Amino acid sequence: MTSVTTAPAGVTAAPGRPGGWLWRNRDLTIQPVIVLVGLALVFAYMSTQRLDSVEQRILDPAGLLARLREHLLLTGYSTVVVIALAVPLGIALSRSAAGGFRTGVLAFGGFMQALPPFGVIILLAFWLGAGTFGATVALVLASFLPVLTNTVVGLRQVDPTLIEAARGMGMSAWRTLLRVELPLAVPVMVAGIRVALVLNVGTATFGVYVGAGGLGVAIDSALKLGRVEVAFAASAIVAALALLIDWLAGVSQRLVSGRTE
Amino acid sequence: MTTRGGAPAVAELDLEIPEGAIVMLIGPSGCGKTTTLKMMNRLIEPTGGRIVLDGDDVTDVNADQLRRRIGYVIQQVGLFPHLTIAENIAVVPKMLGWDRNRVSAWVDELLHLVGMEPKEFRARYPRQLSGGQQQRVGVARGLAADPPVMLMDEPFGAIDPITRERLQDEFLVVQQQIAKTICFVTHDLTEAVKLGDRIAIFGHGGSLEQYDTPDEVLTHPANDFVAEFVGSGAAVRRLSLLSLSRLELDEVVVSTGDVPTNGHAVLGVDDARRPTSWQHMPGLTEPPPLVTVPLSGTVYDAVDLMLDSHTPLVAVVDDESQPRGALRWDALIGDLRTKGRLR
Repeated sequence: MTSVTTAPAGVTAAPGRPGGWLWRNRDLTIQPVIVLVGLALVFAYMSTQRLDSVEQRILDPAGLLARLREHLLLTGYSTVVVIALAVPLGIALSRSAAGGFRTGVLAFGGFMQALPPFGVIILLAFWLGAGTFGATVALVLASFLPVLTNTVVGLRQVDPTLIEAARGMGMSAWRTLLRVELPLAVPVMVAGIRVALVLNVGTATFGVYVGAGGLGVAIDSALKLGRVEVAFAASAIVAALALLIDWLAGVSQRLVSGRTE
Repeated sequence: MTTRGGAPAVAELDLEIPEGAIVMLIGPSGCGKTTTLKMMNRLIEPTGGRIVLDGDDVTDVNADQLRRRIGYVIQQVGLFPHLTIAENIAVVPKMLGWDRNRVSAWVDELLHLVGMEPKEFRARYPRQLSGGQQQRVGVARGLAADPPVMLMDEPFGAIDPITRERLQDEFLVVQQQIAKTICFVTHDLTEAVKLGDRIAIFGHGGSLEQYDTPDEVLTHPANDFVAEFVGSGAAVRRLSLLSLSRLELDEVVVSTGDVPTNGHAVLGVDDARRPTSWQHMPGLTEPPPLVTVPLSGTVYDAVDLMLDSHTPLVAVVDDESQPRGALRWDALIGDLRTKGRLR
């Protein structure tokens, strides 16, 4: 438990070489390359256009950066809250004592997931008031289920004989959870968190309608003012952001699952 | 005593396990042998009765603390796939708060004990090991806290027959060094006879039908249930319990050169008195090929060799390869008929 090595004993591979971790995961480079090429094409196209003062104001780099910051904060807050709530609930539901309660909660989670985030974000604004808080709550509701389900599934799929072995050698239930069950469930749990994260990046675009800012502001202004090219560019930035965050999550997922493969 | 859906899996059981002995729990499926084992470390809580370990009732102590003092080895091995072999073995010593150097030295010693080179295996992961190797590690992990008592639930059940036999042999050698009190669940009578100092035969519903030495179980089954369970192979199984050193062997005449023909089998030997060939065999014009079997072997080994090399007798030699006698096929049949002589 002190040191963690991913390579089998006797196999020392230099990074980047065939057999090394980077080489084995070279497929991970495809996604960022596509994103960067796509963004470059959008920028190339936009630089051929003559922008009027309205369009320039929407695409002003300093303003866009501020929107990006709001967007990332909204995504970050909601994802952290989802993890903080859904993981402990998932652990509780995965215990065999939860029994029939588990099915009930997961069904309710499925119901929440079916609500359209756009409607929820606006309804919650009436109740919780406009601003970041209401938007965060809406995002949490929208992305709660994948994390919850994957936590439950990840823990339930741990081989019961491992748990028997752990208990049989004198590990307490709590220690078995921390040392055996959670480490083995982490790859599945991270996959759920990845889904939640990507959902949140996309849904955070609606934050503009409840005064929570974000990159949705740029898209919304461009659409209201009839500037189609600018709306296209702003949408491309949101899409690129979602793809990059998905990529980062994918890389960390690969890192955690490499240990137990 | 424990209840599973109404009828108790083990209704009434009185079993005393002597210190340092291997006790084999055997019986048909659903007879409660595994339940009995799991009650000993309280993975299944008994609903009544007492289980006394070394004078203390196990139900009086904290279950987790109790289990750290009892080695536990299961058929599915249950090595943690995210931990290395060394980390797997070190789990209990670490829980007991041993310091790092002591743990790592002890892990190496245990790996040696189960016949695995620490340098080669310490840092590997369970998935990189064969089934047999995994179970060796499983046994090493069970021994990790140096517990006085080991519970083993069909540890060699899922391993191919050849490897299983080797693991059983090694297990007996290890037990000679460590002398643990071992409770061993099996459904394989051959395994029970081979490994057990005592065999507890369970009937349906956890009733104890017979609890005795392997020899006694095979020769004097307590009732019809045991007789049927032991089955028709009992006489052959007994051969593997009978050490050659306990037999009165035929004398052989040893010769280094000339062949005296006075009605005895004559064994040719070299200068160091090691047998080289049969030189004369009464009643046979052509002496059979020489086959030797160690004195430490069993009658089963001798019979196996006779059948294998189509020879009516084998020469028995001691550790220094000195001839100690011969065992003839027809004498063997006579001996087995008269049980009394062998005991």
